[in-house]
Amino acid sequence: MATDSIALHRSNFLIMQQNQECLLFLKKDCETCVLIEPVIRALIARGRKLAVYVEDDPDFYQDLSPLDGTSLQPSFQWKIEATPTLITCDEKGRSERVVGWDKKAWQTVFQDKNLGEGLPEFRPGCGSKSREPGVYEHLVATFSESGLEARKVELGSWDDEMEACYERGWTDGLPVTPPTDARILRMLQGTTRDPKAIIGKVPPNLMPITVEKAAINAVMAGCKPAYFPVVLAALEAALDPVFTMHGLLCTTCFSGPIIIVNGPIAKAIGMNWGMNALGQGNRANATIGRALQLIIRNVGGGIPGDLDRSTFGAPGKYTFCFAEDETDPSWEPLSVARGYQKGDNTVTLFQGDGVQGFIDQRSSTPEQITKSLASSLFAVWHPKLAEFTNALLVLSPEHYAIYREAGWDRQRITSALHRAMVRPGVELIQGAQGVGEGIDPARANEMVNKFWPEGLLIVRAGGEAGLYSAICAGWTGGRFRYESIPVTKKIEL
Amino acid sequence: MTSLILRDPTAETATVSRARKTPPASLEGKIVALMDIGKMRGDEFIDRLEGLFAEKGIATRRYKKPTNTRTAPVELIQQIVQEVDVVVIALSDCGSCTSCSTHDLNDLDQLGIPGVSILTEVFQSAFQQQCEKIGFAGASLYTPHPMQNKTTAELHQFAEGVFEELLGTISAN
Repeated sequence: MATDSIALHRSNFLIMQQNQECLLFLKKDCETCVLIEPVIRALIARGRKLAVYVEDDPDFYQDLSPLDGTSLQPSFQWKIEATPTLITCDEKGRSERVVGWDKKAWQTVFQDKNLGEGLPEFRPGCGSKSREPGVYEHLVATFSESGLEARKVELGSWDDEMEACYERGWTDGLPVTPPTDARILRMLQGTTRDPKAIIGKVPPNLMPITVEKAAINAVMAGCKPAYFPVVLAALEAALDPVFTMHGLLCTTCFSGPIIIVNGPIAKAIGMNWGMNALGQGNRANATIGRALQLIIRNVGGGIPGDLDRSTFGAPGKYTFCFAEDETDPSWEPLSVARGYQKGDNTVTLFQGDGVQGFIDQRSSTPEQITKSLASSLFAVWHPKLAEFTNALLVLSPEHYAIYREAGWDRQRITSALHRAMVRPGVELIQGAQGVGEGIDPARANEMVNKFWPEGLLIVRAGGEAGLYSAICAGWTGGRFRYESIPVTKKIEL
Repeated sequence: MTSLILRDPTAETATVSRARKTPPASLEGKIVALMDIGKMRGDEFIDRLEGLFAEKGIATRRYKKPTNTRTAPVELIQQIVQEVDVVVIALSDCGSCTSCSTHDLNDLDQLGIPGVSILTEVFQSAFQQQCEKIGFAGASLYTPHPMQNKTTAELHQFAEGVFEELLGTISAN
């Protein structure tokens, strides 16, 4: 028999006021509760004073005058985890409880060695309705102090909660899930971190953000609690000074954070790395990226037209998050290339633009496809600019297969691409080829790399069919080679 | 119907603005920091400002941020605070420049160095928005936009065009 020290809630309970000996929590949809019905009937017939709460159907045990427990308030306040649960209270309000049918324990409580004769010694119970998925946080929000600290925004009785979120300027233009206490509490179940912990300061206003505030925005983005550790890791990466989220948000350029997820968590939470990986339709991909953007907007104050000064913006600024395809053992994942162990869960944030499609349906050797990819990579921002930004290359399964079949791995592909992107400075300097844009004229006699050696990130993703790959230009802040760089962080579960 | 309670997803900031530090009555004997935010071609604009200050006999000292895309390193802010009396921050002609340099202006002001930020005219509202969000009544001056495609001579003209007003902004007289 377990002894606990739950304080006695006197308000709605009969246990002392009405001179009851015990509280019993049951539900009709529980075989053990049905099994012990004769025991309860016998106890009441003998004049034992039992207050019986039924969680699901008040008609159950009707002739025993059960109490309606369908609001689940009694179950919540008595912290019931399973049915049947039998609770006894002493005069000081200290309680003891028996969970499930435990014949010896029940016999001890009622001091009756013959109680439950003919029944098995032990039967576990069922989970309490108050602990069913999604229910418990509602009960916390309704019947107790939630512990949440964010300012309450009380809507009028007839207000539409979706419209209310729009009116307050909390959305990116698409509907958000209204952040109610129950939803926020559920989101916080996704992390072991203290809701009050401060993660960092969010630009552009450099406002401190707590785990709770991140959870509110993750709710609004549509995240499941299981995604929340990924959101927190992405946020930490974004707030790392060398990621330059501040400049990335305020910039006149197109860019925003692109999130690439590596490790077993991608499959565990149902992320997409296959067909349409960079597109719409997958909840985890869509909402993790959106949660980060909503945090920047709502907490940081990064509002388009105010301090987000992007000339055009880009669709990726709603959300841009996908997983890497790690199903091919010959391919070294991005996270491993960036110093993490295979099997580590990580996020890598890249400051990038939208997708520039690359098609090559004719090249069949690694040398050909390398030259072909290089020719498209030159176009990043401007063909005559060099060491001006980074780039993300998302290599499709069919294009990677050309390399794999020739025995080329990530390192060889990367170095071959860099070698294929070295050009004479004289062709690229400002004014050359009749084009004003270009590199510094002082570099006319150099051989010039398109990207810094670490400036080309290659990720494998995409559907099985399609001799295409995807190029995402980096942000121009990347021209400061050591000041604005992609960031990888481990996801803490 | 019962009313629904939501939780505020924002930073819940107040918008009451703090006045900037009062600039010195006169620039005589004072040192003016010319802080280059690290954006391309800002140095050409500042070159001319430096010359104009020299013609007036006002001492200046140049500083440069590593990048316009971030706020200034703490070390740089602390160095400026120790070496000068007022600061001129130039030349913001993009979103990230504006936001980050406004924070720099605020950080220096809070450490006792009044100043002014010079931006291109397109970023007037961005400067005002950033000031409002951090509760700071910062001072700003504006030059024409765009400036990246102008000649050096034209950038010098921009500096000349703003100089008298600049003097009035960084000194009380």
